Amino acid sequence: MKEGTEKTGDADAQAVRQQLEKLLLDWVDISLSETRRKDLVEAALRERREAISIDLEALIHRIRAEVETEVRHREDQLQETPEKTEEKETTGRDFVRFSLNMRIQHILLLSSCIVLILTGLPIKFHDTAWGVFMFDLMGGIQNSALLHRIGAVGLIAVGLYHALYTIAFAEGRKNFFKLIPDPKDARDLLQMLRYFVGSTDEKPKFDRFSYVEKFDYWAVYWGIIIMVGSGLFLWFTELVLRVFPKYVLDIAKEAHSDEALLATLAIIIWHFYNVHFNPHKFPMNKVWLTGKLSEEEMIEEHPLEYEEILREDERQRRESR
Amino acid sequence: MKFARISFAAISISILLYSAAAAQVSGCDICHAKPDFKRVLKSGRAQSLHVDQTMIDASVHVGKQCIDCHVDIAEIPHTTQPQPVNCAQCHYEGNTVGAPQRDIKQEYDGSVHSQALMGGNTEAPTCQECHGSHQILSHKDPGSRTARMNIPRTCGKCHLEVFSQYQTSIHGIVLEKGNEDTPTCADCHNEHGVRSHEDPQSPIYAANVAQTCSHCHAAEGIVGKYGISSGQVDTYDDSFHGVAMRFGMRTVANCASCHGIHDIRADDDPASSVHVDNIPETCGKCHPGANANYAIGKIHIEAQNPDAGIVYYVASFFKWLTISTVCGLILHIVLDLSRQIRNRRRGTNH
Repeated sequence: MKEGTEKTGDADAQAVRQQLEKLLLDWVDISLSETRRKDLVEAALRERREAISIDLEALIHRIRAEVETEVRHREDQLQETPEKTEEKETTGRDFVRFSLNMRIQHILLLSSCIVLILTGLPIKFHDTAWGVFMFDLMGGIQNSALLHRIGAVGLIAVGLYHALYTIAFAEGRKNFFKLIPDPKDARDLLQMLRYFVGSTDEKPKFDRFSYVEKFDYWAVYWGIIIMVGSGLFLWFTELVLRVFPKYVLDIAKEAHSDEALLATLAIIIWHFYNVHFNPHKFPMNKVWLTGKLSEEEMIEEHPLEYEEILREDERQRRESR
Repeated sequence: MKFARISFAAISISILLYSAAAAQVSGCDICHAKPDFKRVLKSGRAQSLHVDQTMIDASVHVGKQCIDCHVDIAEIPHTTQPQPVNCAQCHYEGNTVGAPQRDIKQEYDGSVHSQALMGGNTEAPTCQECHGSHQILSHKDPGSRTARMNIPRTCGKCHLEVFSQYQTSIHGIVLEKGNEDTPTCADCHNEHGVRSHEDPQSPIYAANVAQTCSHCHAAEGIVGKYGISSGQVDTYDDSFHGVAMRFGMRTVANCASCHGIHDIRADDDPASSVHVDNIPETCGKCHPGANANYAIGKIHIEAQNPDAGIVYYVASFFKWLTISTVCGLILHIVLDLSRQIRNRRRGTNH
């Protein structure tokens, strides 16, 4: 639609130009017939032609701009999303956000957590119909206890692998340093809140990880330390009691049970909102599967990282030349 | 008792020899009213056959004739040893003589006592062993064998070792002092439906023990009077032992595993299995190598109660961490959504 309108605009401008030229030539023919003044006229004519063509260029530019705004406006009104996404696909370039390694870690983490939550929370909620149902479903606590330990092994494995990943892998180290909170995160949060309440129209510009993502990462970090630590204590009760007094186990049980609930709530409320129920992402942000962000998403969500990547590309291009 | 019944036949014959036959069954008192009317058992002991009419008059069966119960006696003197009286000939549902009836007979039929009897054990108790025969009193009568205060002694006739343990337990000691709140045998084992601890229907089956103890120990109106916490059963139910027991494990501890069964004692009694010095041994029954660490810290913990000490503070920390985190996250989401809605209304896409 846009291109069509632009073409009409160009054609209009062409017609105007031709008409004006014809008028000028006529006028010159009538008033300046003397051949001795022809050179002078030619020069003047050239000069004016140039001036007019510049004006016309400007006019065409203005018309094009107006048409484009109008088209964009109409698109917004009609919500012609298919056309829009098509446009994105054709214009955008994909940016790799999460490597395969990271995506596999995430999938291991989430499957362990689902098993742990489904087999663990019924213990906390054993007085509810849901808890009883879950125990019946799993065929008693012998089975759920075994499944819980299998989930625990998965979580411990992914936790240990991640620790190794952030130390031994260049990619892991780089991302880990980018995840360390800094004062900008506090400023970003404040600006985001100001944006939410409407006291500014400018969203904070995020680098590779926004304060939201940093919070998520460190919440999981804290969660794994608490859950794995207390969980191992509860798993190897008799071994622990050889060294520690009984109340240490009571603390471990309380922490394990309470942190489990906190983590589950954070996942269901916060993480599901951010990746599923946020209107921008609904029904799902596919980045955890594809690992890729479109150029538009990069500009929207990680402008600073985007600029950094462009600068880096530019630098490499200049070096290779 | 078997020998007694056999030897009875011989004595009956001798009675027959000197007493005149009576066409009508009356005059049992001719013999049985004599205080020294007795027979000699095989063991050499004499068994009195004297029946005191005043005893019957004081019992719930006042006014009944001998043959109302001894239905197999058709003539005097009787030539055979009377069969044991079957109480169910009156005490059945819908009887016309007004004998009280619950499902007692059915309860008894499912009991270990009945099973033993059916299995040929002649020592197994029938109604008479607990209720008596000629002197059956209401359980409300303090003199009754089934009166609350007398139940342990009644059961103890056969269960002597258990009775002696019970007498030294806190329950037995306070019963002896006249406390009616304390459990006797029947409170835990049922009155008529006494079942094995391996029977899932039994109140003392591992998975049912906590429920049984809860009748008193979760009742503020009972244990509260003595300064005993009524929350112990709840804290057990919430513990790993309690949850595991409820959802299928039978090897985990129930109340009796730690506190004992007939020998339950107060925790400040040095002989108690839950006395601080005995905890390693008690826990060690299931947890090999249990040491003094098992006794450092409370056992029945209610995390929401400041009495739980450090566990209470851990629970409070997580409670407030959870509340503040969740509220903060929800606030962030709500603000985000409200801005997105305003943007949409204005027609901008950011």
